[in-house]
Amino acid sequence: MSLDLNTLPTRRDEAWKWTDVRAAAKEQGGLSDVGLPKFTLPEGLTIMEASSDLAIASTPMSRLTSHFSGPVWTVNVPDGFSSDEPLLIEGLNRGHIRIHLILGKGASLSVIEHHASDENRFVNIDMVIDMKEGASLERAIIHDDPESCLRVATTHITAWRGAKINQYVLSFGGDLSRLETRVAVMGKEVEAALNGAYLLGAKRHVDMTSYIDLAVPDCTIRQAVKGVVTDKARGVFQGKFHVRKPAQHTDAEMRHDALMLSDNCEIRSKPELEIYADDVACAHGNTIGQLDENALFYMRQRGIPAGQARALLTEAFVADVFDDLEDETLKDSLLRKIRDWLKETK
Amino acid sequence: MLKINNLSATVDDGNKTILEALSLEIPAGEVHAIMGPNGAGKSTLSYVLTGRDGYDVTGGDVTLDGEDLLDMDPEERAAKGMFLSFQYPLEIPGVPTMTFLKTALNAQRRARGEEEMGAPEFLKKARALASELKMKPEMLKRPLNVGFSGGEKKRMEIFQMMMLEPRFIVMDETDSGLDVDALRIVADGVNKLRSPDRGMLIITHYQRLLDYIVPDRVHVLSGGKIAASGDADFAKTLEAEGYDAYAA
Repeated sequence: MSLDLNTLPTRRDEAWKWTDVRAAAKEQGGLSDVGLPKFTLPEGLTIMEASSDLAIASTPMSRLTSHFSGPVWTVNVPDGFSSDEPLLIEGLNRGHIRIHLILGKGASLSVIEHHASDENRFVNIDMVIDMKEGASLERAIIHDDPESCLRVATTHITAWRGAKINQYVLSFGGDLSRLETRVAVMGKEVEAALNGAYLLGAKRHVDMTSYIDLAVPDCTIRQAVKGVVTDKARGVFQGKFHVRKPAQHTDAEMRHDALMLSDNCEIRSKPELEIYADDVACAHGNTIGQLDENALFYMRQRGIPAGQARALLTEAFVADVFDDLEDETLKDSLLRKIRDWLKETK
Repeated sequence: MLKINNLSATVDDGNKTILEALSLEIPAGEVHAIMGPNGAGKSTLSYVLTGRDGYDVTGGDVTLDGEDLLDMDPEERAAKGMFLSFQYPLEIPGVPTMTFLKTALNAQRRARGEEEMGAPEFLKKARALASELKMKPEMLKRPLNVGFSGGEKKRMEIFQMMMLEPRFIVMDETDSGLDVDALRIVADGVNKLRSPDRGMLIITHYQRLLDYIVPDRVHVLSGGKIAASGDADFAKTLEAEGYDAYAA
């Protein structure tokens, strides 16, 4: 069975109007390939190949994985589990992939995902994460594709009472890529921090889309996404907080701030709050700007060459979204990647 | 040391002339003050000397130790020893003061073909100077100037001067925003930096600062050129009589 291009979303779909998957897929091979991810598990965890349908097929790209992927790669994290080692997911380099993580009550897990592919690949990943009461997840996504890769990675998180999510995304884009996070908040006192940074050069594209569905009271959401685009790159941010009527005392903040470093780059941004509860604190902010010329002159006057001054200011601008990352080694490696990117693009 | 010869400069793509054939010479070891009414071109002079974008030099030249500065980028001029103390020092969020200064110092050294300063030596020097300026050590860890008071920012400018040891210092309205105590600390710092092989140009609207940093020469900038010059006492006369006599 091969994939029918007509099943892919196009710009006519509101949620995909800035990320035209169908157009990009026309030039791509391997549309119906089966992907084979590689897992490095912390001690005490095992992986199963489940065949059951996950039944969360809320996006067009998710539906495709249920037709074309191999088994559902399933990791069951027992109640109360904790480990110093992260769950490492690699081999996210081609085809359709389905992954299911279940975090038992009070379980705590750190996940590091490397999204990097070979040339000319199509990657479509659907990941479902169930978080039981009091479960805690620290998730880092490092995304760096070749310029010829088309990637969509969709994550559906369901969070029950007291669950804690800390997500950090660092993306350098690809030909066309979309990293989408959907969170269904089902239990009270859930705390989620969804931070990310994208740095794009050449004709790269990344779309960071998120949808947080709040149906219960007393939850806290913090989202901060920073973007840096240059050359002819395009960054897309779409964020939505959907605060349903019972979700009183929701405390939610969404920020997207981006720097445009060239005349031909593009930022598309759509922050949305849809609120039905009447006693909530919800805010969103969105800024798009350039580096501060006064600060640049100040730094150059002190002897710092222009390129290095720009790199320092840009690094300072994006790096703060990773301030709260607990894994210091991981944080250092993310900052190093940012610095390397700045060195190459200056 | 610093020679400004018939310097003319415009802004707004040549639509507005700010400096008109200004000439001034500051020998090594001397401190000169430039006073003048608002809008006389005092700040423009400081920016033209240090190479800020947005100013077109339409005539004349500027040399430091015989080297032409006007064709150099701001960072090249800094490496040659030009230092501008800003009227309003910039806040640089996310860049710790020490990182900023170490980057600047070593960039200058590289540009001059000197060896970079290692971290231990740099830290030692920074700590010693910070305590001399009565700066709290934690200020050095904070992002540069972020959340600093006006006085703290000016003290940070002096600290940077002491760390970078420039050949020539231009101070643009260094006294603005300072109370008397802060002014004294800043002036003490500047006076310590006076040396036989360093020159300074102090740009100020008021005479007050010159009670603490006594200049060798005082000039009036008006209509884009030096309208009059005198010794340190001349500043007091100007303060008493105003700049009307030198109006362009």
